[in-house]
Amino acid sequence: MSAESLILFFIVGAFLVGFAIVFSIFVAPTSTNPQKAEPYECGIPTEGLTWLQFNVGYYLFAIIFLIFDVEAVFIFPWAVVMKEMGMIAFVEIVIFFFVLGLGLLYAWKKGALKWE
Amino acid sequence: MTTIISLTILGVLTLFLGIMKKQSWLLPVILLGLVVSMVLTLRDWNTFSSYYNGMIIVDNVSVAFSMALIFSAFLIFSLAAHYYRGVLRPLDDIYGVMIFALLGAVMMTSYGNLIMLFLGIETLSIALYVLAGSHKEAVTSNEATLKYFLLGSFLSGFLLFGIALIYGSSGSFDLGRISAFVTSCAGIYPPMFLAGLFLLIIGLAFKIAVVPFHFWAPDVYEGTPTLLTAFMATVVKTAAIIAMYRFFTHTFHGIHGVWDTTIWVMAALTILLGNLTGLYQPNLKRMLAYSSISHSGYMLLAVVAFSAMSDNALLLYTLSYSIATILAFAILILIREAHGNDYFSSLNGLAKTNPSIAFCLTIAMLSLAGIPPLAGFMAKYYLFTTALEQGLLWLVIVAIAGSAISVAYYFKPIMAMYLKESNGIKLMVETPYKVSIFFMALLVVLIGILPFLVIGLL
Amino acid sequence: MLTVILILLPLAISLILLTIREERVIRQFALAGSLAVFGVAVAAFIQYKTCSHCNLLFTADWLSTLGVSLKFGMDGISLLMVMLTTFLVPVIILSSFNHSYSRPSAFYSLIFLMEMALIGVFTSFDGLIFYIFWELALIPAWFICAVWGGKDRIRITFKFFIYTFVGSLFMLVALIYLYFLTPLPHSFDFQWLYAATLTPVEQTWIFAAFFLAFAIKIPVFPLHTWQPDTYTTAPGTGSMLLAGIMLKMGIYGMIRWMIPVCHIAVKQYAPVAIILAITGIVYASVIAIRQNDMKRLVAYSSIAHVGLIAAGVFTLTLHSLEGAVIQMVSHGINIVGLFVVIDAIEKRTNTRNISDLGGIALKAPRLAIVFMIILLGSIALPLTNGFIGEFLLLLGLFEYSVVFAAIAGLTIIFSAVYMLWMYQRTMLGRTNAITEQISDLTRIEMAALIPVVIMIFWIGLFPGMFLDVTLPDVLQIIHFTK
Repeated sequence: MSAESLILFFIVGAFLVGFAIVFSIFVAPTSTNPQKAEPYECGIPTEGLTWLQFNVGYYLFAIIFLIFDVEAVFIFPWAVVMKEMGMIAFVEIVIFFFVLGLGLLYAWKKGALKWE
Repeated sequence: MTTIISLTILGVLTLFLGIMKKQSWLLPVILLGLVVSMVLTLRDWNTFSSYYNGMIIVDNVSVAFSMALIFSAFLIFSLAAHYYRGVLRPLDDIYGVMIFALLGAVMMTSYGNLIMLFLGIETLSIALYVLAGSHKEAVTSNEATLKYFLLGSFLSGFLLFGIALIYGSSGSFDLGRISAFVTSCAGIYPPMFLAGLFLLIIGLAFKIAVVPFHFWAPDVYEGTPTLLTAFMATVVKTAAIIAMYRFFTHTFHGIHGVWDTTIWVMAALTILLGNLTGLYQPNLKRMLAYSSISHSGYMLLAVVAFSAMSDNALLLYTLSYSIATILAFAILILIREAHGNDYFSSLNGLAKTNPSIAFCLTIAMLSLAGIPPLAGFMAKYYLFTTALEQGLLWLVIVAIAGSAISVAYYFKPIMAMYLKESNGIKLMVETPYKVSIFFMALLVVLIGILPFLVIGLL
Repeated sequence: MLTVILILLPLAISLILLTIREERVIRQFALAGSLAVFGVAVAAFIQYKTCSHCNLLFTADWLSTLGVSLKFGMDGISLLMVMLTTFLVPVIILSSFNHSYSRPSAFYSLIFLMEMALIGVFTSFDGLIFYIFWELALIPAWFICAVWGGKDRIRITFKFFIYTFVGSLFMLVALIYLYFLTPLPHSFDFQWLYAATLTPVEQTWIFAAFFLAFAIKIPVFPLHTWQPDTYTTAPGTGSMLLAGIMLKMGIYGMIRWMIPVCHIAVKQYAPVAIILAITGIVYASVIAIRQNDMKRLVAYSSIAHVGLIAAGVFTLTLHSLEGAVIQMVSHGINIVGLFVVIDAIEKRTNTRNISDLGGIALKAPRLAIVFMIILLGSIALPLTNGFIGEFLLLLGLFEYSVVFAAIAGLTIIFSAVYMLWMYQRTMLGRTNAITEQISDLTRIEMAALIPVVIMIFWIGLFPGMFLDVTLPDVLQIIHFTK
């Protein structure tokens, strides 16, 4: 944890990243033509304006997924020790579900689960 | 811990009251809930306890400052009825987010572990990014929230990196173990540790808005809806300064010689720059923003001058500053509504149209300037005494110079109110709002005359 | 006990005045209140004399952790100052009946708030309480001058406030620093502060800080630039309060503070201070001669007279300190008298310019007589109060240095010049269109000025009464400087 090792750490890190980028510029084959540069939607040419406002539904969907994904992540270790702990574990997980269920209820009532 | 739990329940309750479409119950429930939280917090007085293996520490300092924070939030919520009276859209999310921001602030007063500190800061910050932009139609509000979010996230990154480096060198997030590591180093500190310490200082300095990390504050304060600016200027600042105070004095005290010059310089620069720039502000809101920047500088004095008295000094200072600032913002809200802007010209002749409101604003300005016998003077005096006891003569002289400069801009509203002719627009105030304003003015005078109510607690 | 009543009574009157609506009732109540406070002060004086110089102390704990206690008391010097304050306030209120001020409840309430703060300054025996009342006195003064003042008052009163406030802030730092040098446990009590031991370097800095604060207040050249404008633009009452009493706070502070605490530095820098004061005397006197506005002339004369007092204080001789105390009282009475007369003239003729006036004595003989008496008191003619003070001061200066005394003695000559010349041009000679219809003094104005005239002669003829009261305390202060 001396000063030299810290600086060496930073230099090596920067060098590796820089090297990867610079090296690929020289080594990678490139051939560009206009058709490759066009935007596309699912393989066919675009229709209408492509620069639309972001639909916030995607964002809400992602956030709610994240919350319940983390809930699932917490359930995995619980599942491992549940058998040894018995009744206490069961009651505890019911409380956990209940608290997160309250959150789901809130999201539901606020209309986050509806699209648009 | 009961504080945190009660505030969480209150926040969730607020949100659910919103779902159940009981908008009229919101404010009464919140005010009642805050009083209940204060009572529950008081029950923890003089008990020293720690939870979750020392992650949350509840001692007298955290109880006192949690009380101060909840009380400031209580005062702000008492103004919310008038501020949001014409708003049609449901308010439960704004109030809920404010409660959660308060929760984050309380967590910042009682942490025993750097992860809890980060948790508290992020809870507070993210809630505030939302609140800053809550006025969706106004462009200034959008600008404020974007600036705050981008800069805040960037600096939270610094904070986190600092925590990581400290963990890397000391082997623990716990404040006690880091303190033990500091003493075991015996003068030879690993560079990684020092780098982490300074990154931590930078991250927290952003939150308090001290020079040179203060550039976000005036624009963000000006763009945010005024009630929430009051929240930012008082609750956030108090929470951040007590967080800084806690980890400096409990953990890094042994390493005093390393960081005190930095904090010393930051404090001096903040006091001078904040006060000098405040002289040039054209409107009251920006002036209050720069005044709050300079007050952060004074609060840093308590951090540098650690002694037995300094937590008392800090408590008195944050309390008197918060109450005076909320009072000033409360009257600012009235002026903005009546005149549409808050340039000093809108204050002209207020002493004739609304004499009692003008008097309360005078009390707020004089207290912030530090004129006896108001609370601000006792707070500054106590702070200067603490600093002089530790031998920081030059810093006190800088602070005195800053006070002298600040009188100039605190007098601008007073002069406008009493000495200029008004254009006849009278402020419309409802009685509950007036009661809040008078109560706050009374508190400022009372704490000034009877400071022993606050001093001697810790 | 009486001391506390002296402080709380003006405060109570001030608050009660805010509730009264009718102007007539406000005036009567204000006058009655001020006379009541004067009565309490007289009672305190009698008690002081009968219990042979006990200090009428009142002590209460306030912030014991910080060593601050509410200690109020009056020794001889404080007693004289309190008597001056409580005597002058009724006179000032009587003279204010000439004008109908807008929002009278606020106006008179501020006067009493200022009286409370002034009494608080003179009776506090605790350093921090002294500072708090010192600052507190500034707020009503600013409001009175700013709200009811004359032209350009915003800029001038702002300058006045900032100037004085900056000085007091330096005093605060010095005070806190001094607190830490007191023997343990630290305290702000005067006795403890006197007992603080200071190295010469510390003494110099603390002396500088105190001198700055007091020199701005008095004012001493070259920190006097705020004073002429402020006195001219203030309403009559404001300038009377400022010149009559508030500037005495500065001299009182010097005697009470600077001399006992930083006596080595005082002795070392006395020549500098005396030279500044004497320069102020000559400078202000010369400017006063050329003034056309009567109020501005009196303002500059005030700088000259207090310059002499300040010079005397720094000589640290018994004569000049006694002279300083008595001259504080005399100067207060005389200058309030002068301002009352000028106010009366202004009310009748709507001008203060000497060039516009003339021959008033033909039409208003009583006014002329009273004006002459007060003027002679200001010039320090023997038999008047001014003579006692200035003679003692010059005697003390003479003991210190003959040269200084000679130059300072010019003040008497100069003041005779500008005062008598002003009198000649305004009162004597022929009347003109403006002064043709002038009426003589009303009964209220006589009621205000007769006590002033009485005091001029009383102090002038029987100064022993007043000097005896302060002698032991002045001796004690000189004892500190040994």
